[in-house]
Amino acid sequence: MAAQTAEKVQEIREVTRIERIGAHSHIRGLGLDDALEARQVSQGMVGQLKARKAAGVILEIIKDGKIASRGILIAGQPGTGKTAIAMGMAQALGTDTPFTSIAGSEIFSLEMSKTEALTQAFRKSIGVRIKEETEIIEGEIVEVQIDRPATGTGAKVGKLTLKTTEMETIYQLGQKMIESLTKEKAQAGDIVTIDKATGKITKLGRSFTRARDYDAMGAQTKFVQCPEGELQKRKEVVHTVTLHEIDVINSRTQGFLALFSGDTGEIKSEVREQINAKVAEWREEGKAEIVPGVLFIDEVHMLDIECFSFLNRALESDMAPILIMATNRGITRIRGTHYTSPHGIPLDLLDRLVIISTVPYDEKEIKQILKIRCEEEDVEMSDDALTVLTRIGMETSLRYAIQLITAANLVCRKRKGTEVDVDDIKRVYSLFLDESRSTQFLKEYQQEFMFNEMNEEMETS
Amino acid sequence: MADAWLQKLRLSQKTCLVQDGRRKIHFTLSDGTELAEEYDLKSGELIVRKWKKKATLGGYRKWEFEVGEPPAPIVNLDSEGLVESNLNPVFLRKDTKTHFQWRVRNLPYPVDNYKIRISDDRQLILSTVNKKYYKKFSVPDLDRCALPLEEERIDMTHANNTLIISYKKPQEILDMEKTFQQELKKLKASKDGEIDCTPS
Repeated sequence: MAAQTAEKVQEIREVTRIERIGAHSHIRGLGLDDALEARQVSQGMVGQLKARKAAGVILEIIKDGKIASRGILIAGQPGTGKTAIAMGMAQALGTDTPFTSIAGSEIFSLEMSKTEALTQAFRKSIGVRIKEETEIIEGEIVEVQIDRPATGTGAKVGKLTLKTTEMETIYQLGQKMIESLTKEKAQAGDIVTIDKATGKITKLGRSFTRARDYDAMGAQTKFVQCPEGELQKRKEVVHTVTLHEIDVINSRTQGFLALFSGDTGEIKSEVREQINAKVAEWREEGKAEIVPGVLFIDEVHMLDIECFSFLNRALESDMAPILIMATNRGITRIRGTHYTSPHGIPLDLLDRLVIISTVPYDEKEIKQILKIRCEEEDVEMSDDALTVLTRIGMETSLRYAIQLITAANLVCRKRKGTEVDVDDIKRVYSLFLDESRSTQFLKEYQQEFMFNEMNEEMETS
Repeated sequence: MADAWLQKLRLSQKTCLVQDGRRKIHFTLSDGTELAEEYDLKSGELIVRKWKKKATLGGYRKWEFEVGEPPAPIVNLDSEGLVESNLNPVFLRKDTKTHFQWRVRNLPYPVDNYKIRISDDRQLILSTVNKKYYKKFSVPDLDRCALPLEEERIDMTHANNTLIISYKKPQEILDMEKTFQQELKKLKASKDGEIDCTPS
């Protein structure tokens, strides 16, 4: 009995994924209903009804797949959920549509030119759905044998025997395969397929020969015939790769020549042209299909005038993805020029965009978001504390309030409390300054900080 | 048909090297596929024939051995996920002058356990009565020359845990191999360690 529970604990530990909690990990989608109306609170999204509905409409355009190259700008004050909307769109699109997310400043790398970085980002956002031949192993499990080392720690060793109606083969298992076999709960009598290249295991069902022990399994158990012929088969599978991935595969120098080419990460334009021609050929032959994806550029005001003119041009190509940009700037200088423009984006590019604007959250919405974040971070908070935190959020910023949740929880745990209350919030509020209090502090003690005089001189000159 | 294949080889880009008592020839065919053959210098027997084809998305696959034994791979279980255990039967082709020959090692069962027949899609099917081993394989040499598979040419023996299947080469193949060998002699081969660089 004890051994059984121990096994169960082990199993649970292997199944639960350890994911870190990010700033937007509570977002699961856009939170729209079938009529594209935004629900007030859904899938981690709160408020911003208009912006979310607009995003939903754009999503439909993307899913339709007919329109290439649309530009969308999400504009709004800091902390109004621009990135959250983009994340929600990515989640709603699913895994089969490429979604590339970059920050505007990523373009400025010493490794490659700005246009190269942008081109790569563009090509990462275009998928090609193509048939490819892969090797799979399909058979009935005769025996799975997994041995833990006697010392208790270290790598496990495993053996898997598979059979078809005609033959039988023994395989040795690697660590990852053992884990996925345990996760799939594969056992003798199951019919499985294993993709040799990716190592993915799919359970097809139980073998008919095992049908008599029906009482040991659930109602949804499917019975299938034991496969015939050879265990290893070649099968055509459809999968989506991005244009950038095809570029990389084809741009690698083969053989000893690779020693002489300094790999800068840039891809020659000839390679790209060849691949475009090849993809067009596949499309005509009906072998491949283009899946336009989404390129999301956060903090787009960080791009300079060269990038913007590149975008102008790139958006006109029929192979361009849907481009979503986000900015929190108002009328400001365009980087690389002396001109000012709304959002720091040149007017000719703005003209090609549709603009979604986000508005500041009201008190109720902030409370709701903080509540969701508490759940996401597994923090218990009393109603009073939440009200206080909401006030803090209103007066300072939403981000500051969200950060206090984690800190307050830690303070609460240290005093062995079960629920974060008002005192914990007060404590961390006094420990950590927010932006406005910090500015206030700086103004008071400006004279005592280093290099202070120099700054003043620069301002006067 | 045999001529067509020879013609294809003639048109390909060839490099020849004599090394370790073997004459090694590397062909690059017009579609980018690479073919490498190794012949014994003394007997002229084919030891290795391997192919490297381009993958659908570009990039290269591994060498595929048509004839000869691939070098024992360095097995990294963790990156591969799963590999066939070395207790399993090993299938490989090893030709003689007069026969195509396949060897299946690690097969302990007696000779009457094995059945071989020709399938409709030009393949040989080796099966076992005790359902332990099954293999479908083609004879690419015959496919390339569009020659039929004939049941009476097949012979099977079993010794030392190894099953040997022989297929007597038809006259057309023998003729073709003879012409090929003669042309091979004409090919200039560089010796080991010799680099072809004529200073201009």
